[in-house]
Amino acid sequence: MLRFVVRRLLLLVPILLGLSIVVFFWIRALPGGPAQALLGERATPETIAQIERQYGLDQPVHVQYWKYLERTTHFDLGTSVASRRPVTDELAERFPATIELALAAMLFSVVFGIPLGFIAAKRYGTWLDHASLVGSLIGISIPIFFLAILLKYVFAVKLGLLPSVGRISVLIDIPHPTKFYVLDAILAGNPSALWDVLKHLILPAIALGSIPLAIIARITRAAVLDVQNEDYVRTARAKGLPPRVVDGRHIFRNALLPIVTIIGLQTGLLLSGAVLTETVFAFPGMGTWLVQAIRNRDFPVLQGGILFVSLVFVLVNLLVDITYALINPRIRVS
Amino acid sequence: MSVAEAEAREVQLEAPSGLWSEAWRRVRRNPAAIVGFVLVTVFVVVALFAPLVAPYGPLEQGLEGTLNFASPSWSHPFGLDPLGRDLFSRVVYGARFSLLIGVVSVAVGLSIGLVIGAVAGYLGGWIDSILMRLMDVMLSIPGLLLAIGIVAALGPGLTQIMVAVGATQIPIFARLLRGSILATREADYVLAARSVGVPRRTILVSHILPNSLSPVIVQGTLALATAIIDVAGLGFLGLGPQDPSTPEWGTMLTDTTRYLQTAPYLALIPGGAIVVSVLGFNLIGDALREALDPRFRGRA
Repeated sequence: MLRFVVRRLLLLVPILLGLSIVVFFWIRALPGGPAQALLGERATPETIAQIERQYGLDQPVHVQYWKYLERTTHFDLGTSVASRRPVTDELAERFPATIELALAAMLFSVVFGIPLGFIAAKRYGTWLDHASLVGSLIGISIPIFFLAILLKYVFAVKLGLLPSVGRISVLIDIPHPTKFYVLDAILAGNPSALWDVLKHLILPAIALGSIPLAIIARITRAAVLDVQNEDYVRTARAKGLPPRVVDGRHIFRNALLPIVTIIGLQTGLLLSGAVLTETVFAFPGMGTWLVQAIRNRDFPVLQGGILFVSLVFVLVNLLVDITYALINPRIRVS
Repeated sequence: MSVAEAEAREVQLEAPSGLWSEAWRRVRRNPAAIVGFVLVTVFVVVALFAPLVAPYGPLEQGLEGTLNFASPSWSHPFGLDPLGRDLFSRVVYGARFSLLIGVVSVAVGLSIGLVIGAVAGYLGGWIDSILMRLMDVMLSIPGLLLAIGIVAALGPGLTQIMVAVGATQIPIFARLLRGSILATREADYVLAARSVGVPRRTILVSHILPNSLSPVIVQGTLALATAIIDVAGLGFLGLGPQDPSTPEWGTMLTDTTRYLQTAPYLALIPGGAIVVSVLGFNLIGDALREALDPRFRGRA
């Protein structure tokens, strides 16, 4: 097992190096180069020269890249052009919001997706199965931002049940030691703040969780259908075990492997892909941060943000691979 | 294998049919696929004949003599937008953009991806390793973010979107074709061709590629659906066509949250158009996957 983990970690090295090269050269491919991109319309030949000296842009490319790598490995991602604050400081504020949202979305999709897929498989070929297939296909076909707008319209505008923007009401003031607002509200011992934070999470979580829900339901259905016809299931039935025991112990447990894998992969995607949902709900996470950075042409933020998000994505996927190997001994051997 | 399956095989042996004719037969019997074909046909026809379908021009303003939006009515079935333009006509013209951008970006991703996948899969060795690590790097950046990064570098615009969305699909096609080629490379008919001295390129083009293409076709259909969604997403984020009056579906949704209280149809109609066209491609893609998957062969 250790050998497997080490091998996977070693495979990560070229990917991370490649990623850093892509991000490094991306900012140098911008029209007018990075100095122009930093200065925008205020650029004059003098200021450009000054910025190039200041950031070492007048040095050979390989020297620049080496310095960039050095800075990045010391968690120095530069300074935001818009706010003049270190990119890592902003990141530390934004990322917890996205984690919170992604976990809430995943919870929603797992709680509804697995039972839906299981029932569809058990009722294979009936109208229920067809309905769940069609439903999940529609779920995959709805652009996430359109679903977000619909949810906002029905539950926030029409019914007025849930808040439509932000993470917490402006009137509620609690300290934020962890930046995870759910956790902060619990630490502050303030139930009304907790309820408020949770209410702010519901709509974005449903919007963000809809696609994973559809995918999890489909995978669960396929996995259960696969396992259902295995010999050991037939044996279990033949020796007279009650259907519920067969479902739980023989079918569901063995179908769990692909389901767990897809949950992990989707979590990685959610952590990185909440751009559209966050924009609709003005949710102050990584997504809105990056979109603002595009509007402001804030390239240090974009460079650092994309690098960080990709890193998280790669690491979560690695974690999924390792967990997969842990629960499935067959992978470790090959 | 069940008795029914064994019998199905025999029937198949009596009347042998090609992969494609059998797939086509099965697609035609699948009601979901029919619905998908209908949706996609409507989408394509509307896009191609937009000037004939739309009662007004997409940019015609002040149709009611005012600059205000108006709810759906007989003369304007989908209502007017905030600038007094007929929403139905704009959605109809929007189909053109979605179809054009979708097809071009998938064509970009598919053609580059296929070349990379074919070269890597057929040549193998260090070329394969380098190309595939490159694809891994591209895949390590989440799709929408990669597209955003490319558009941010190139600036907003139609061509830039096509390039950006196409680029996100390159690694997917490259990996798919590579895997598929690795599987067919060792097939007996390829060995036979090689042993009688058929040149490498001919083996690749006329033996391996045609037999590796079916997963690519399925993925291509599904990629069209993803491309339409991604393009709309970029448009929604304000990275769409530089001229904001362009009737692109995603761009049309950008400001609608502001008017949700007074004019929800502004969001519902372009959004609905996206869902319908994407659903069409997804239904066809799903049906094709089932029809071309050898595990399902001989069942229908």
